[in-house]
Amino acid sequence: MRLPPQPRERIDRSQRILFTFDGKVVGGYAGDTIGSALFAHGQRIFSRSFKYHRPRGLLCCSGHCPNCLMTVDGVPNVRVCVEPIRDGAVVEPQNVWGSLERDVLSITDKIGGPFTPVGFYYRTMIRPRRLWPVYEKVLRNLAGLGRLRKDGAGHTRYDVEHRRARVLVVGGGEAGRAAALAAAALGPDVVLVDETADLVGHELEGVEVLAPARALGIWEGGLVPVVAGSVLHRFRAERIVVAAGALDQPLVFPGNDLVGVMLPGGVRRLVRDFAIAPGSRAVVIAAGEEDLEIAGELREVGVAVPEVVDLTSTPARRIEAHGRKGRVAAVSVDGRKVDCDLVVASAGRQPAYSLLAQAGARVEYDESRGIFVPTNLPAGVEAVGSVTGEDCVTVDPVRTTKGAGGDKCFVCVCEDVTTKDIARAIDEGFDSIELAKRYTTVTMGPCQGKLCQLASIRLYAQATGVGEAAVGTTTARPPWAPVELGVLAGRHFEPARRTSVHFRHEEAGARMMWAGPWKRPYAYGERPEDEVRAVHDSLGVIDVSTLGKILVEGPEAADLLERLYPNRFGDLRPGRIRYGVLTSDAGRIMDDGTVARLADDLYYVTTTSTGADSVTAWFEWWNAVWGYDAEIVNVTGALAALNLAGPRAREALGRLVDDPDVVSAESFRYLDAKALVVAGVPCLALRIGFVGELGYELHFPSPAGEHVWDRLVAEGARPFGLEPQRVLRLEKGHIIVGQDTDSESNLLSAGMQWLPKMDKDDFVGKLALEHFAERPERERLVGFRMEEDVLPVEGAQIVVEGRPAGRVTSARRSEAVGGVIGLAWLPPDRAEEGTRFEVRVDRRLVGARVAHGPFYDPAGERMRA
Amino acid sequence: MSVTLDFLSPSRCDPDVLVSPLARALAGIDPALVEDLSAQGKVEIRGDADRVEPAEGEELIRLTPRRAFLLTSDPLAAVERLRAAGVRAYDVTGGYAGFAVRGERLMRRLTDLDLERLPAAGPLFLRVPAIVLRDDGDRFRIYVAQELGHDVVLAVLDALDGLQALETAASSEGGA
Amino acid sequence: MSFLLECPRCGSRPVDEFAYFGEVTRRPKGSASLRELTEYVYFRDNVAGVQREWWQHRTGCGEWFLAERDTRTNEVLAIHLPQPERAQAGGAE
Repeated sequence: MRLPPQPRERIDRSQRILFTFDGKVVGGYAGDTIGSALFAHGQRIFSRSFKYHRPRGLLCCSGHCPNCLMTVDGVPNVRVCVEPIRDGAVVEPQNVWGSLERDVLSITDKIGGPFTPVGFYYRTMIRPRRLWPVYEKVLRNLAGLGRLRKDGAGHTRYDVEHRRARVLVVGGGEAGRAAALAAAALGPDVVLVDETADLVGHELEGVEVLAPARALGIWEGGLVPVVAGSVLHRFRAERIVVAAGALDQPLVFPGNDLVGVMLPGGVRRLVRDFAIAPGSRAVVIAAGEEDLEIAGELREVGVAVPEVVDLTSTPARRIEAHGRKGRVAAVSVDGRKVDCDLVVASAGRQPAYSLLAQAGARVEYDESRGIFVPTNLPAGVEAVGSVTGEDCVTVDPVRTTKGAGGDKCFVCVCEDVTTKDIARAIDEGFDSIELAKRYTTVTMGPCQGKLCQLASIRLYAQATGVGEAAVGTTTARPPWAPVELGVLAGRHFEPARRTSVHFRHEEAGARMMWAGPWKRPYAYGERPEDEVRAVHDSLGVIDVSTLGKILVEGPEAADLLERLYPNRFGDLRPGRIRYGVLTSDAGRIMDDGTVARLADDLYYVTTTSTGADSVTAWFEWWNAVWGYDAEIVNVTGALAALNLAGPRAREALGRLVDDPDVVSAESFRYLDAKALVVAGVPCLALRIGFVGELGYELHFPSPAGEHVWDRLVAEGARPFGLEPQRVLRLEKGHIIVGQDTDSESNLLSAGMQWLPKMDKDDFVGKLALEHFAERPERERLVGFRMEEDVLPVEGAQIVVEGRPAGRVTSARRSEAVGGVIGLAWLPPDRAEEGTRFEVRVDRRLVGARVAHGPFYDPAGERMRA
Repeated sequence: MSVTLDFLSPSRCDPDVLVSPLARALAGIDPALVEDLSAQGKVEIRGDADRVEPAEGEELIRLTPRRAFLLTSDPLAAVERLRAAGVRAYDVTGGYAGFAVRGERLMRRLTDLDLERLPAAGPLFLRVPAIVLRDDGDRFRIYVAQELGHDVVLAVLDALDGLQALETAASSEGGA
Repeated sequence: MSFLLECPRCGSRPVDEFAYFGEVTRRPKGSASLRELTEYVYFRDNVAGVQREWWQHRTGCGEWFLAERDTRTNEVLAIHLPQPERAQAGGAE
């Protein structure tokens, strides 16, 4: 039912729009919200309350309160009072067992009182602990707001748009519009954000209007995230003007949540914007002149207003609402009962200061007007209009806390917190407003304190006998407006680093896994041991493009590396390679790799697969401190790297170079670095032996990755993945930094006493190593063999004489060695060759013995072949 | 025996053996939407960037006074010329995936860099380091680490998809 | 944390583009007692006030620089490029 056309109505009566509500077709007009169309259709109960399942109807009708939360097109918790109507929308009530009119769970309202006191979930259902899953399931069904679709249907693409504005105005009321126009007169890049659809289609000269859209907060650097649909606009604004307006404050009295008790702003919207009479017989109880005027407006559209109560003139009146089936039927004012179906009740208007408080403004209580006002605005942030306190005044919102009818007085309709709950919390000693918030959850519901903060502060002030100013406000935190988590999460974007050979691995059926930021092949089949065997017996190839690759070039490159590494690189001859370990000044092992000297002033450093960026930054930082004439250039991505390994490696490589003699045992020795052209591609070939067999690491331009890979595979090299490589390296006793070492490991305890050159003047970590050498060792990294064929997990506990004494860092089954081998940290007095200890495997203890040196080819003849 | 930096340069290979890091992500995509520029020569310059004069057809992007990025069709010649002039130059052509897109709106969904102050180095999707250039009008070129190129371009295509969906929605609303 | 930081090369940029490398510390020269070493490696002043600290424009130009930041307000009072030891010592130590 609509009123005759209203002068400022926003509906277009020529355009009928249909949607379904709870399975039934409902019609409205273009310009309606889903909520206004439902109300016009006769719907009065819009939701059931959070805890007591009491019927609730439109209250603020401005998108603030929780009373109209519904599921629209599968999206839960949509405030239908501001959600624009659209054809074919599927609207469903939520948090209901049965129907909105008859919700089975409303029984909690009748009998639940004693059982659901304030903070009940903190103190009930603690014991017995094993029943918790049952409680949880029951609670989840009883409480909560809406349901997500588990099938993920209706998934939305969330995106971020980065915006700049000279002036960003938040709030499109009169003051906001004026501020925007004034700013636009002075220059470009003025944006006005408004949460309603009111300004859609309005022209504001020189102003970009973003609506409906909600500002979530104000962060440092003028950052204001604004949600518009499924896009988060991250504004960086030079100047921010907050024109967020003021908020109608509900009165607290028995039955104040009955359907038909409304705030003046909501009543006005229904009449003015949507041409709907909110009731037929209204009682107006308000404080300010503006709010009292609503009586006249209602009469104009034919609503009887038998009673108007001005709270400013007679502040101490007792009020109580009486309901029938959850809807207001009468209201008593000082004992005099007036029949009505609408109560317009308001304590006045409170500035919506939250955004300003988040930005750093102070919030002070203005005793004379009974409102909290923002002061001391930070630089670059301004406030205009009612948010400054202009035209705002409130009276004591707490009218009556006990009625003859015994109905509840709600302070917070979001979380169903009553005056009784607040009183009880104070009795229990939760005597500060911040504690009250956490204990009673007042201000923590969907309205985030918009409608309940003032009332709860007043109750605290009255009960504790201090003033409102002393009680203070709770901290204003973002988000100021409700927002979907998806919008905050944004686009799902977790980019993987992929080598230039990546798709060859996928095509070969490799199982890809995350290795730090990279995607790498775990293995190419179900049997990694076959890949291990291929490397030992014949030929394998592994993509090691993920290795960090850094060029260090300059006349002082050698000096820089001498100081970065514990071992020596100044005496390394061009064309030769040396293993290097990086330590921090705390003596901690940070990364390892090979260092090849390519020329007197040029080194090629490799790092672990996860170390490229951090080692580059580490080198650059030290050189920012020291200032050596040397460039540090990270060429990790520019180069692919393939390790060709196995007894047939030389022969295969020989067929891919112009002259096989260049790779002969004499001309290309172990730990040589050499320029080769392999299959027509210029390569840096490093002869190293991480996997323990004759091997060549080929480094060459990334775009040729697939080509060189294909040619090596065509020469009979079997692709092997990370898992076989882990077995191969463990057989050689090679450590993996970060797996076998941790933040406590140093070169001495990790068994690399031979590496640091303590006679060097300085290197990073030297000071710490000097002290480590003087202190008794706590533990040592050693190899071990299991006595039985059982595989301990990495991290398995080592037990000596019934006490925990160490841990396993790596363990694998090795065919070549014949048994289970691994690396472990042990007390130094247990680190002797052959010492027995026990490892916890699947709840039993299995014997193992310390085994020093490589398990496989201890003399290294195979890799030096 | 010394080793030169020849192994950095894809231009020393038969062009037929080279594959763009974006080849798979952009297969079947209209180059008018996203154009693959990965094959373009790129040279990283260290040292006194003031001494570098870009040759005809080259573009120099100065990141710091000691670090610059040169786009060139002939990286071998550029490196040789710069090295002869005493500047440390590295052929990093293979290190970066490059692509061109159109539209400020799309760019605002990719980066928070000030589009009026390009070229610049900054993040894409808030995290991925990139070098961004603006051509005449609304054409933008973006260079990112080649190993991230595939996923970055897939996200760019998704962002494009989102914008087109919006545009389509807007035009149908306008038409109704 | 969303404040803007001034990169000496690229100008004002969101702080997430930068890597923070902690307070400027003093590294003992030559040798150090355990106390001196521990102070250098682990102890930080952690002032509530202005602090000199290392930053790198990680997802931008890559420059390392020093900033004087008020840890209470995140206001950056000054930025400068580091003066390497060797430059200070006239190229030699």
